[in-house]
Amino acid sequence: MKPWYECDTPCILAHQQPAVLIDLALTRGIDSHRLLRGTGFFYEDILAGKLHIAPRQCYQLLTNIRRLLPSDDTSFLMGHRLFPGNCGAASSALLNAKDLQQALELLTRYRLLLTPLIAPRLHYDADFLYIYWQDTCGANSEWPFLMEMITTALTSLSRWLSGQSLPWRYYFSHHQPRYIEQYQVHLGDHLAFNSHMDAMVIAREYLHTPWINASPSAVILAQRDADAQLAEIGLEGGFLERLYCHLLHNIQRPTSLDQVAASFGMSSATLKRKLGKHQSHFQAQYDQVRKCLALYLINRQGWSNEQVASHLHFHDANNLRRAFKRWTGVTPTVLKAFTL
Amino acid sequence: MLALHKWKILLILVAANLLLLGCLSVGEIKDWREIDWLDILGEGGISLLSLVWLLLILHSRPAGRVTNFFVAGLAGIFLASFQDTLDEVIRIPDTVSFDQWVESGLMPIGLLLLTYAIYHWHKEQLHINEHLRKRERLFREHRIQDPVTHLGSAEYLRRQLHTELLHHHQQQLPLSLLLLDVDNFAHINRRYGNEEGDRLLQELTELILLNLRRCDLLCRYAGDRFAVLLPNTGETMAQMLAQELANVIRHFAFKTRRHGESVFHSVSIGVALALDESPEHLLARANQALLHAKEKQESDIFLAA
Repeated sequence: MKPWYECDTPCILAHQQPAVLIDLALTRGIDSHRLLRGTGFFYEDILAGKLHIAPRQCYQLLTNIRRLLPSDDTSFLMGHRLFPGNCGAASSALLNAKDLQQALELLTRYRLLLTPLIAPRLHYDADFLYIYWQDTCGANSEWPFLMEMITTALTSLSRWLSGQSLPWRYYFSHHQPRYIEQYQVHLGDHLAFNSHMDAMVIAREYLHTPWINASPSAVILAQRDADAQLAEIGLEGGFLERLYCHLLHNIQRPTSLDQVAASFGMSSATLKRKLGKHQSHFQAQYDQVRKCLALYLINRQGWSNEQVASHLHFHDANNLRRAFKRWTGVTPTVLKAFTL
Repeated sequence: MLALHKWKILLILVAANLLLLGCLSVGEIKDWREIDWLDILGEGGISLLSLVWLLLILHSRPAGRVTNFFVAGLAGIFLASFQDTLDEVIRIPDTVSFDQWVESGLMPIGLLLLTYAIYHWHKEQLHINEHLRKRERLFREHRIQDPVTHLGSAEYLRRQLHTELLHHHQQQLPLSLLLLDVDNFAHINRRYGNEEGDRLLQELTELILLNLRRCDLLCRYAGDRFAVLLPNTGETMAQMLAQELANVIRHFAFKTRRHGESVFHSVSIGVALALDESPEHLLARANQALLHAKEKQESDIFLAA
C-alpha cells in the first residue's frame, strides 16, 4: 500500500498553493507576522522555495486568514485565485487542459499539489458527473471555508477556460449561511444546504466541450514533470481520504476496525490513535461512507430501502431506517421527497 | 488621525502639569486620613472620562474649526475637574485664589464651548448626510457596510427593503429593485489583480451614484453585483433608469493603473417591481431576472415576471 500523508506530515510546498492565499492576504494589507502567527514558519522561509509544511499548519493559516480578514467574501476571492495556481508543471497542465473532463482528471491526479486539503473524488453515472469533495486530514472548523474556496475555484476555472458559465449544482453539508448572496454571485443559484454531503454535479454533456487554451502537447510535457514531482514526494492521498476510499471499496463486505487496521498495516490501537489525531473515530468515518452511499443509491438510482439495506449490510430495512434517522434526522422516505 | 493633533494634546498636558506644579508650590499634601476617597473617585472619574472623550474625538476628526471648539471645550472640562481632584489631595491656603478660578471659571466656559462645537458639528453632519444620501436612506449601521466601496452590504439592503416594502405597501406606492452585474468581472481580477478589481468597483460606485436620483439607494450586493432600490418608481421608469445605467457604464473607460489602457465593460441588469412580498422573495425574483438578462444576448435588461 502506497504511503499516505497525515495532518502533521510536511508534504505541501509552502511557495505553491499556500503562497496564493498568503499573497492575497498580504495585498489586503495584513501584516505577514500576524498572518503566520502560530503556523511555525515565516514569510522569509517561503521565499527560499524549499519549505514543506503540514496540513495542520495550513489549517492554522486558514484560521488566521479568517480572523484577520473577516469579510464574507474572503473565501470566494481566494477561490477565484486558486486555479491554475502556483504549482509549476501541475498548474500548467491544468491551464492547457482540452476540456472539463481532462481538467478534472488532472485535478484528481495532482490533488496533493493543487488542492492538498480537500480532494475531489469523481463518480459518473449515465447522465451526470458527481464531484465529491473529500476532507483529507481533518479540517473541522475550516471545512465550510475550504468548501467555499474550492467550489469557487473550480467554477471560476471552468468558466474562464470553457468561455461560458456552466450549469453546476452545488450541495453543501453545512447550514445556509447568513451571507447567501456571496454564494449566489460567485457560484450561481443552484444551491442546496444541509445536504449531508459536499458535492458538485454537472450533466455529462459539458465534459467534452473544447476549452480555449487546449494544448495536448503542453499537457503531456507538463504531466511528465508533475509526475516526477509526485514520485519524489512518494505519497498518495490524505489519511482520512484514503480511509474513506478503502471503506467505500469494501462496502459490500462486513467491516470492522481490526480488519481495516490490518489492511493499513497497523494495529487497531494505532489506527484509533491516528483517527484521534485527526479528531475523528472509526464509527464516524464508517457512518459517513454509508450515509453518502445510501443517499446516492436512494435518491439518484431509485433503489428501494430493502436493496440498500442488504447492500450496506444492515439486518433489514428497519435497521437502515433507524440508522438513517440517526445520521440525517429524517427517514429515507422523507428524504426521498426532496429530489436532490 | 491623532498625529494631526499632537500639538493640541501636548498643550493640554503641559497645562495640567502647570496646575499640578502650581498647587504643589502653594499648598501641602493632605494626610491619608483627611482624603475623601469617594470625592476622588467622582471627580477623578470626570476628568479621566473627559480625557477619553477628547482623545476619541481627536482620533476621529480631521483638523478644522469644529474640531478646535471640541478640543477647547473638553480641555476646559478636563482641566477644571483635574483641579477639583487636586484639591482633594493638596490643601491650598485660602489666600490663594487661582484654584477657585480654574475650577469654577473653566467648567462653564468649557461646557459653553462644547455646546457650540456640538451645534456646528450637527450642521456639518447635515452636509455630510446630504453627500451620503444615495448610500444610506434614513438608517445608519457602520457594521454592515462594505469595506471596499463603502456602500451598504446585502444585509443592509435586506433591512432597508424590510421597512421600504412595508411603507410602500401601506401608501400604495410602487417600489422597484435593480440588480446590476458587471459582465466578465472575474477577467479583470485574473488579468490585473484584485486591487484593480477593487478599484474598478469603487469607480463604478461613483459612476452609478452620479446617475441616480436623490431618493435612490445603492448597495453592494456581493462581488460585482450591485443593488439599486428605487422608491416611488414603476416598471417603465425603472427600466428607463436601468437603461441609462447600462449606457453610462458601457461608455465608461476604466484606466488600468500600470499601463493606463482603457478597459470597457457591459452590465446585465435584472429589474423587479415589488409586490406584496418579503425582501427575500423580491431579491430572488430580481436575481432570476438578472440571470435571464445574462443569458439573453440582445438586451442587457430583463424585467422580472
